[in-house]
Amino acid sequence: MFKNMNYTIRMKIAIGYLLIICCLGITIAVVSERINTLHNEMEQIVTRDLEIQNFITNIRYNVVSMETSQRGYLLTGRQAYLLPYQEGKSQWEANHTSLAALLDNNASALKELEAIKLTIQNWINTTGEPTIAMRANNDTEGIQTFYRNDPGKADIDKLRTQLEDMRLSHIDDTKSYILQLESRNRVVTLSLYILLFAVVIVSLLIVSFVSSSIVKTIRQVSSTIAGISVAKGDLSKRIHVKTNDEIKELAEATNALLVSLEAQSWITTRVAEIATMTQGLNNLEELGRSFLSRVAPMVGAPYGVFYIRGAKGSEPRMNKLAAYAESGDAEARASFRFGEGLIGQCAMDKRTYLLSAPDDYKAGIQSGTTELHPRNLLIVPIEYEGKVVAVVEFASLEPFTAQHLKLLESIEDYFGVTIDNVTGRMEVERLLSESQALTEELQTQTEELQAQSEELQMQQEEMRMTTEHLEEQNLFAAQKTKELEHAKTELEAYAEKLKQSAQYKSNFLANMSHELRTPLNSILILSQMLYENENKLLTEEEEGYARVIHSSGNDLLSLINDILDLSKIEAGKIALVMDDVNVTEIPEMMRMLFDPVADKKGITFRIELQHDIPSVVRTDGQRLQQILKNLLSNAFKFTESGTVTLKLHQADPAVVADKMPGSAPEELLAFSVVDTGIGIPKDKQDLIFGAFQQLDGNTNRVYGGTGLGLSICNELANLLGGCIVVESELHKGSSFTLYLPATHCTAIELEQASMQASASYSAPGHPFADVNFGDNAAAAASPPISQSEPVKNTPAAASSGMGGSEETALFLGKRVLLVEDDERNIFAIDKALKNKGLEVVIARNGRECLDIVASDSNFDLVLMDIMMPIMDGFETTRALRADEAMHDKPIIALTAKAMKSDQESCLQAGASDYISKPIHMEQLFSLMRVWLTKQVGH
Amino acid sequence: MPEFESFDYARMGRRSDDFAAHEEAAAGDADDDIAITELEELEIDLLLEAIHRMRGFDFRNYLRSSLRRRIRHRMHLEGALTISSLQDRILHEEGCMERLLEDFSIKVTEMFRDPAFFQTFRSEVVPLLRQYDRLRIWNAGCATGEEVYSMAILLEEEGLLERTMIYATDMSRAAIALSKEGRFPLKRMQAYTKNYLQAGGSREFSAYYTTDHAYARFLPTLKNHMVFAQHNLVTDGSFNEFQVILCRNVLIYFNPALQSRVHGILNESLAPDGFLVLGSKESLLAPHRNGFTEFNPEQRIFRKSGDPI
Repeated sequence: MFKNMNYTIRMKIAIGYLLIICCLGITIAVVSERINTLHNEMEQIVTRDLEIQNFITNIRYNVVSMETSQRGYLLTGRQAYLLPYQEGKSQWEANHTSLAALLDNNASALKELEAIKLTIQNWINTTGEPTIAMRANNDTEGIQTFYRNDPGKADIDKLRTQLEDMRLSHIDDTKSYILQLESRNRVVTLSLYILLFAVVIVSLLIVSFVSSSIVKTIRQVSSTIAGISVAKGDLSKRIHVKTNDEIKELAEATNALLVSLEAQSWITTRVAEIATMTQGLNNLEELGRSFLSRVAPMVGAPYGVFYIRGAKGSEPRMNKLAAYAESGDAEARASFRFGEGLIGQCAMDKRTYLLSAPDDYKAGIQSGTTELHPRNLLIVPIEYEGKVVAVVEFASLEPFTAQHLKLLESIEDYFGVTIDNVTGRMEVERLLSESQALTEELQTQTEELQAQSEELQMQQEEMRMTTEHLEEQNLFAAQKTKELEHAKTELEAYAEKLKQSAQYKSNFLANMSHELRTPLNSILILSQMLYENENKLLTEEEEGYARVIHSSGNDLLSLINDILDLSKIEAGKIALVMDDVNVTEIPEMMRMLFDPVADKKGITFRIELQHDIPSVVRTDGQRLQQILKNLLSNAFKFTESGTVTLKLHQADPAVVADKMPGSAPEELLAFSVVDTGIGIPKDKQDLIFGAFQQLDGNTNRVYGGTGLGLSICNELANLLGGCIVVESELHKGSSFTLYLPATHCTAIELEQASMQASASYSAPGHPFADVNFGDNAAAAASPPISQSEPVKNTPAAASSGMGGSEETALFLGKRVLLVEDDERNIFAIDKALKNKGLEVVIARNGRECLDIVASDSNFDLVLMDIMMPIMDGFETTRALRADEAMHDKPIIALTAKAMKSDQESCLQAGASDYISKPIHMEQLFSLMRVWLTKQVGH
Repeated sequence: MPEFESFDYARMGRRSDDFAAHEEAAAGDADDDIAITELEELEIDLLLEAIHRMRGFDFRNYLRSSLRRRIRHRMHLEGALTISSLQDRILHEEGCMERLLEDFSIKVTEMFRDPAFFQTFRSEVVPLLRQYDRLRIWNAGCATGEEVYSMAILLEEEGLLERTMIYATDMSRAAIALSKEGRFPLKRMQAYTKNYLQAGGSREFSAYYTTDHAYARFLPTLKNHMVFAQHNLVTDGSFNEFQVILCRNVLIYFNPALQSRVHGILNESLAPDGFLVLGSKESLLAPHRNGFTEFNPEQRIFRKSGDPI
């Protein structure tokens, strides 16, 4: 019913309340009426009941007073006693009638009442009246007679009973009536509740209806407003209210606000848009262009120009910065003085011009098809800090609205700042790029420096590595030198021994040869005499024996001679007789000697002479012949068929470079003996020059000989300043070539040469200096030195994991200054160090230490106790460090374990390292090894 | 902001070119007695390519000036007149390649090198490492292991060694083998002792080693906390995450491109808030600087920024 009617909220609320009050009123009225009724009925009942009781009592009283009065009269006969009777008789009927009236709706009660009436009447008629009459007549007899029967007593008793019954039945009636009333009362209560409930329901309905009708509209409004906020300020929404109440007024007011907000927001949005657009722009021109391209459509202007403040000399001007939809001819002027034209004027006056353009407004807006002429002009100054910084002109076909003007106003406010910002930013940008260029330059330089520094560091490291390597090599070299010196000493000792043994050998050999030759001579002479058998005393067989004895003796003699030769050569006792020898004569001599052998064995003996060899060389001719003879006899010995060739020729440069480096091939002459004999295997070719060497055991047996020949040849060749080179192939033949110096050189020079050759093995000036040990001898005389045991007898090194000799090498002869006051420590350390081969000097306090050092500072290491009397370890260490001789010597402090401060103090005092007491000997040795080892790299 | 960043990168690219040019110029200054010819550069390129193809060792991004010097040195020692002839021997002669590789691997190291660094590490970094229950340290380019043992001793004295594992890697198998030995020549031990004491060593240095006639052997218990492995920063990648990475005087031999790569590996291998230690003349390249703070610039200790999450 509200729906079609437009009630105000106040009315709605009032109607609602009224309705509720009405309902409540009705309810209260109904209920109170009911309560009243109940109450009346109750009162009625109580009143009636009282009346009935009253009447019953009255009736009884009347009857009783009649009876009493009648009896009184009867007794006294006084008239006065009869009064209550008269009164009762007149009243009971009235009472009875009243009671009957009260009980008229109760038939049984009426019946009982009628019975009572009859009884009373009966009593009056039968007892009262007659007796009274009798008294009045003084009929005492009659009375007595009457009372003998006394019928009236029965009436009275009956009446009493009747009245009592009636009262009781009346009480019952009343009770039942009250019960009835009570049940009615309950109904009333129930109906009261029901009513109340109904009223509540109705009220609620009304409240909800009213409130919903109010809330609904409010909700509508608020949801619309919420919609606006949800739509991020979409102000185009409006609130629609169907009711015609205060809410509608609110909605209308809100709508009005929205409209204004929308307008404001349009401006704000545009301003923000422009602000966003101009953000991050660092270029004025771009700023102008984008400004126009944004703002022109906003104000509906199809044409726009942007002028910016500039200066031409000292005169400020407005210069065209950008244009929007400018026509090709660019009729917008590029620049205005202040005050010149509208632009200039606007800049000067700082005011906005809005005008309708004259018909001949020049600027045209070109579209694809035509050219339009705008009718409206808007010229806006843009200020910053009270100064016009730019002027914008828009031209439009339509008039500019207030909103457009407002927008421009808003823009103008902040755009001045933007222009200033951009200008500032451009400046900052310029400065930044300048500074960045500088930074970059700086960075490059830094990195160059960095690279160079790295490079340097690296070079340093490389250098250090090289240095370390060199130092290591130096160290190694020094060690080697030491070893060599050691070896030298040993060699000297060897040489001494050798000299002695050689002496013994020579003596022995001289003696032997003498002693051997003497009996051998006897044997030879006697055997010769025997086989000559001049006396013919011997049989032919016995003669043969003697011959064998003789030839064996001869062999023996030649062997002894060979040995003697060799030992002489080795002992350097061969004197060379240097002479000019005509080598061309040599082949003839050899031919004479060996032709018979060749003939005998059926072998060809050839001699070849190269034509350009020197004919005369300075050498020992005897020895040369001896060598050649030996070589040739060997060749013939080992050749069964084929040829033996003696060749004299120029030296082969390749062989010379290999075997005799330092000699020029042209200064050498070569004698080759070539055979086609059994040959020598490659691996034996080096051995054949060794004394007593032949190819194998069998060779001797087949071919005979002592095996000394080649040794002698070789030694002789060496003596002569040459050498013998062998080339051979097994079963094909051998070639022995003797190389000899072809120049004129003296024996003394030769001796010097041989001395030099052996200098690396023996000391100069030694008696054996002119002896060439030969390859084998040299090899034997130079074993790896490092393996040789030291000559000196040293205390055994008992160190763990350390080669005794190396340990000794490190510690041996090193001097340690032990500065310590505790005798037990002195004893222990001294003993341990001495065991290692160290020399220990003991100072018992600092003062003593300084005294010792003052006279002898040749220590390799100082062990310095800290806690000492007279002068402690700190002071002593400082004093030692001040001493030039001790400045760099390792000083190891002996500190107490717990004393951390001691350890730092002793390092500060200049100790190199420290070790805590009680001293662990292995650790002490470790330390000493570290501090006694020569360091590299520092 | 992004445009600034890209701008910066662009500059970086340009700068490294400049850098190379400068480097060449610098090298030219240093070695101007022997002209650097294009031909020589070509020969070096070919040689490095050959080594890479044959052995997998990639020296192509090592600092050229340094390589050049060492190749020349090797040429001199081998009596080769040109790099090509040296290459011929390297390819065909047994042992020659090893000698050159040995030349290339500069193993300059010492125990407690730059004592001030170890002192700083002890006083400033170690307290921050105590928070970790398990500590992993990578010594990249450990050479012959001096630094590994130094670090182990330092951590032992600070009570951290028990929970620490030091991963020591080097490209040279020989160097790793030496590192495992844990013995250093006596003839360097005096300097090491001085370094140890200067680095704030709190015990007797001699308690950490036993000696024989030539070497000081460090306690095997130190080795219980070390893992040695062959690892080449040029070709291999990250293999674990560490709280501390020591990579001192390794990068100086690399050109900027390779340095950048190695920085990447180191960064990847470093836990958030972890420490990176470089050599005294080394620094982080610009693109990697962002993720780090300069914990102690003087000792070249950098700290990785915490987790970005």
